[in-house]
Amino acid sequence: MSKHQTIAEQLEAAGVSRRNFVQLCGMLMVSAPVGLALTSKKSVLQVAETIGKAKRPSVIWLHFQDCTGCSETLLRTSRPDVADLILNVISLDYHETLMAASGYQAEAALKQAVDENAGKFVLVVEGSIPTKDKGQYMKLAGKPAIDVLNEIGNKAAAVIAMGSCAAWGGVPSADPNPTGAQGVDSILTSKPVVNLPGCPTNPYNLLAVVLEYATMNRLPALDQYNRPKFAFDRLIHDHCPRRAHFDNGRFVKEFGDEGHRQGWCLYKMGCKGPVTHAACSTRHFNETPDVWPIGIGAPCVGCTEKDIAFRVPIFQTVEVHGVTPPDAYPLVNMPIGGVGITAAALAGAVVGGLGGAALMASKRLPESVPPSGKVESESKKSDKGVPVGD
Amino acid sequence: MELNRRDLLKKITTGTAAVAAGGAVSATALGGIVHAEEPAKAPAGAVGLLYDATRCIGCQSCVVACTKANGLEPDNRRDPLHQAPTDLNSRTKTIIKLYKPAKAGESFSYVKQQCMHCVDPACVAACMFGGLKKDAKSGIVTWTGKYCVGCRYCEIACPYHVPKFRWEGFNPEIVKCELCKERLAKGQEPACTSVCPRKAVIFGPRQQLLDEAKSRIAANPGKYYQDRVFGETEGGGTQVLYLAHVDFEELGLPALGEESVPQKYLKWQHRLYSYLIVPIGLYATLVGTISKNWKHHQEHAEIEEKNTGLRPQI
Amino acid sequence: MKREAWERDVPVFDVPIWTRPFMALCGLGALGMLLVVYREIVGLGPASGMNDAYAWGIWKTFNTMVLTGLGSGGFAVGIAAWLFKRNNLHVVMRTALLTSLLAYLFGLAMLGVDVGRPWNFYWIAFPWHWNLHSPLLEVAVCMSVYATIPLLLENVPAGLEYAFEQWPRYQAPLKKVEKFLMAGYPWIISLAYVLPAMHQSSLGALMLLGGTRVSPLWQTPFLPLLYVWAAAFLGFACVSLTLLFAGLMWNRPFDIDVLNELNRLTVGLIWTWIVFRVIDLAVRGQIVAAFRADIYAVLFWAEMMLLLSAVMVLRGAINLENPRLMFLGQSLVAVGGMLYRFSPTTLAFQPRANAFYFPSAIESLISLGFIAIAVAIFIFLAKILAILPAPMRLWNAMETIKARKATAQKIPVRVGRGQFATGD
Repeated sequence: MSKHQTIAEQLEAAGVSRRNFVQLCGMLMVSAPVGLALTSKKSVLQVAETIGKAKRPSVIWLHFQDCTGCSETLLRTSRPDVADLILNVISLDYHETLMAASGYQAEAALKQAVDENAGKFVLVVEGSIPTKDKGQYMKLAGKPAIDVLNEIGNKAAAVIAMGSCAAWGGVPSADPNPTGAQGVDSILTSKPVVNLPGCPTNPYNLLAVVLEYATMNRLPALDQYNRPKFAFDRLIHDHCPRRAHFDNGRFVKEFGDEGHRQGWCLYKMGCKGPVTHAACSTRHFNETPDVWPIGIGAPCVGCTEKDIAFRVPIFQTVEVHGVTPPDAYPLVNMPIGGVGITAAALAGAVVGGLGGAALMASKRLPESVPPSGKVESESKKSDKGVPVGD
Repeated sequence: MELNRRDLLKKITTGTAAVAAGGAVSATALGGIVHAEEPAKAPAGAVGLLYDATRCIGCQSCVVACTKANGLEPDNRRDPLHQAPTDLNSRTKTIIKLYKPAKAGESFSYVKQQCMHCVDPACVAACMFGGLKKDAKSGIVTWTGKYCVGCRYCEIACPYHVPKFRWEGFNPEIVKCELCKERLAKGQEPACTSVCPRKAVIFGPRQQLLDEAKSRIAANPGKYYQDRVFGETEGGGTQVLYLAHVDFEELGLPALGEESVPQKYLKWQHRLYSYLIVPIGLYATLVGTISKNWKHHQEHAEIEEKNTGLRPQI
Repeated sequence: MKREAWERDVPVFDVPIWTRPFMALCGLGALGMLLVVYREIVGLGPASGMNDAYAWGIWKTFNTMVLTGLGSGGFAVGIAAWLFKRNNLHVVMRTALLTSLLAYLFGLAMLGVDVGRPWNFYWIAFPWHWNLHSPLLEVAVCMSVYATIPLLLENVPAGLEYAFEQWPRYQAPLKKVEKFLMAGYPWIISLAYVLPAMHQSSLGALMLLGGTRVSPLWQTPFLPLLYVWAAAFLGFACVSLTLLFAGLMWNRPFDIDVLNELNRLTVGLIWTWIVFRVIDLAVRGQIVAAFRADIYAVLFWAEMMLLLSAVMVLRGAINLENPRLMFLGQSLVAVGGMLYRFSPTTLAFQPRANAFYFPSAIESLISLGFIAIAVAIFIFLAKILAILPAPMRLWNAMETIKARKATAQKIPVRVGRGQFATGD
């Protein structure tokens, strides 16, 4: 592969029609995460132009304690058929699973790639790094993983930790963590590391980060765990398509029951959606709608979260806090009662009428009665005298 | 009227005798009443609920289950597609409400409202013919249409605003939670507690729930509001207990003293009307005085009738 | 010229029955009755503004609780005349009793319309089903017994008198009835004073169960006492206003001495009531609540100002012997007293935040309809029975007219206002 052509030239040389390329850019615009600079372009052609001008960044991909699932997920970007395209957009100079070389050839390729692009390449790490017993539990060409990482990582322009294993330790770090597995950023403390947790993480997370770096020469905005905010600033629960069922008390009680068939909320089956930050609920996998755990009826296991995945049992329910309740809930004192216009008018008329009548009556009452001397027999406390009505 | 010594003596003796007798009777009666005024206690088999607002996720499964178990029509007046009542009403025996804090940064909280099944209920004291009764064994407060006149005094009396009236149509009812007594009779637990995914609301004997609440408070100091459970003594105690992380008053649970509402406010009514001693005494006094005045009056009337030929008017 | 004194109760014989105001009242009453039928069909919700926060609307609280307070004339005047020997009040006793009877009967009828399940009222006849803790039970039992037994019996003599004249054939059995009544009269009227004392105070006890939801400016353990006390001066006010109105509408002379007697009693009751209420507020530490900037303080001061000004106006009226001032004063008493009895039930009752109540148009019309019927019945009965007091000359005139009619002399049946044959 020639390394100094622009992406457009490279694609042309590879026989990729401009139409396919523009389609890819369209897909990137749509399915790339919100916030990616590319999507500020107004049209697909603009995106295509921008990408086309970008120089293919060199990417070195290291595997440590991994299952290769994150690489696999990258290959599951099937429309358009761009497995090769993706590898052409970035110059993937070292990838143990995908490259043809092996053995000493592979070692040499790695050295060459690192030396030629020192300070400029993007290091993608997949898998956790064992640190116990001098890191002997994973060796690359005889060297402990931890040393490989330090050596190569320090020469990288940017480091992307793809997958939960690389981000914080993942499966290998589950109790009792016999190998002392750790994530990349606890070892490469002096480098900017972008964490893309997930098991696997969505491939477009990686693609978006890499493209932003390639075209804008910067890394996306990161949260306190160095995860890109465009994917990890929200909870699954907040964007879950089954949220309406949660809010209305429709829960799956058993796999295969009526509720499960209806697609009801999986909270009671232990779904970790309320405590898991990821974009899976809006961007599914395999480019097929509803291909994601909850979409197919399996509760989220919280694979992106260090405190949840492989620690909290899958079927254990979680607390739901820190989530903003929707406005549909009634408040403690909802308004009740009111006054209609007829009622108010009638009441006003009655009060006014009575007042008016009283006023008129008082005007017609005399102000005094005919004066005369008091008749003696009409003393107030008398109990004898004239036959008064009893 | 001239008062000679004999009359005066008679007046004094009868007066003293009356006062003495009245005093003696009142004292015994009062003694009896004061003894009967001891605060009510929860019955031995008292059951109830414990609702922990810190565990509630607002899923409203309880609202749905309650409606189903009680055969009520879901209240979809606010939102035709959803059961979305705004308050307890004639179709809603329990509801989840949301407390939204006024200040940013403070916690919100859900609150489940339903009948508190008070130890000394105000509604039971208010109901004229015993339409609302507290079961002697379980302490559950139930409504019977047979004795209800529909006067809605229970709505006025209840400090938690629980009993609700069906305002539309003929043959209205008072609707409120009755702890699913039919389900309890079958050995099941109430509908709401049976579906709660977080066990935020649980059912059990009141004493057991109190102990559970206190152990939660002890295990998590500072987590619960004022480190206390609402309903232990409030308003004389309730059988439905609350734990929360926000002020109970914000959740619609009023600040009540330790005396129950009937005890605090109806004390003097009980004392004055006990055995009808005061009214009867008053009546006797009135009859005595008025009879005399009446006699005088009639005498004068007869004289005037003789003089003027006019019938007396009463 | 002799100042005219009321010495006899005389029907309003010189005014026709079907006057325009009377017909208007009957029309309003008929409208009210029609709306009652509507209420029975559709239920309480659509026919009124009541809701679950304000479960008691104006029917129970105004027509029953307040208007029976106003209709405590029989109670107040009766105690003043028979217990405290204010013998000049005997002449207005029938007026007071009739206003009481009508207020109570229609107050109870309104209660029957207000409750949702009136067919269960029959339990009132089974004392072992009574809940003795309930103040409302006391009210229901006591009011029903009072209205149907002592109060009714007290009003019977006026009817008996009418019957004596109209149906001379039955004079013998009627005389027996009268004798029976007279024999037991002290027992009947004593009951007629004990029972209102009980239920008027229990009406106050009703809102005790409102607890802290009734504003502390009203909520006090002495609420029952203040209620029955207010019933007393409201009763006097109602009787005074009735007499003044009757004198005005039917051109009857006023007996200033009797009216002043009523005024003096009213004044005495009110200022002692005010003092008691203020002391009660002070003892409970709630004087400060009267100076807050909220609606309750405004209401409180409205009541106080109405009653205080009533006292001052009435004092002036007594000194000046001025019927117009008496009317003003007694109106202030009526409004202030009614406001006091109405406030704790609705205006000063805040069950929870965000709750509001206003009577709907239908609700107000039904309430007015019942009041209209009661007033219409009073007017009707005042015209055929000897209810309203009058000086002897009017009685003589009436007798003269009757005598002349009996001798078939051609005199106009309808006698105009102010025109009547002076007796000889």
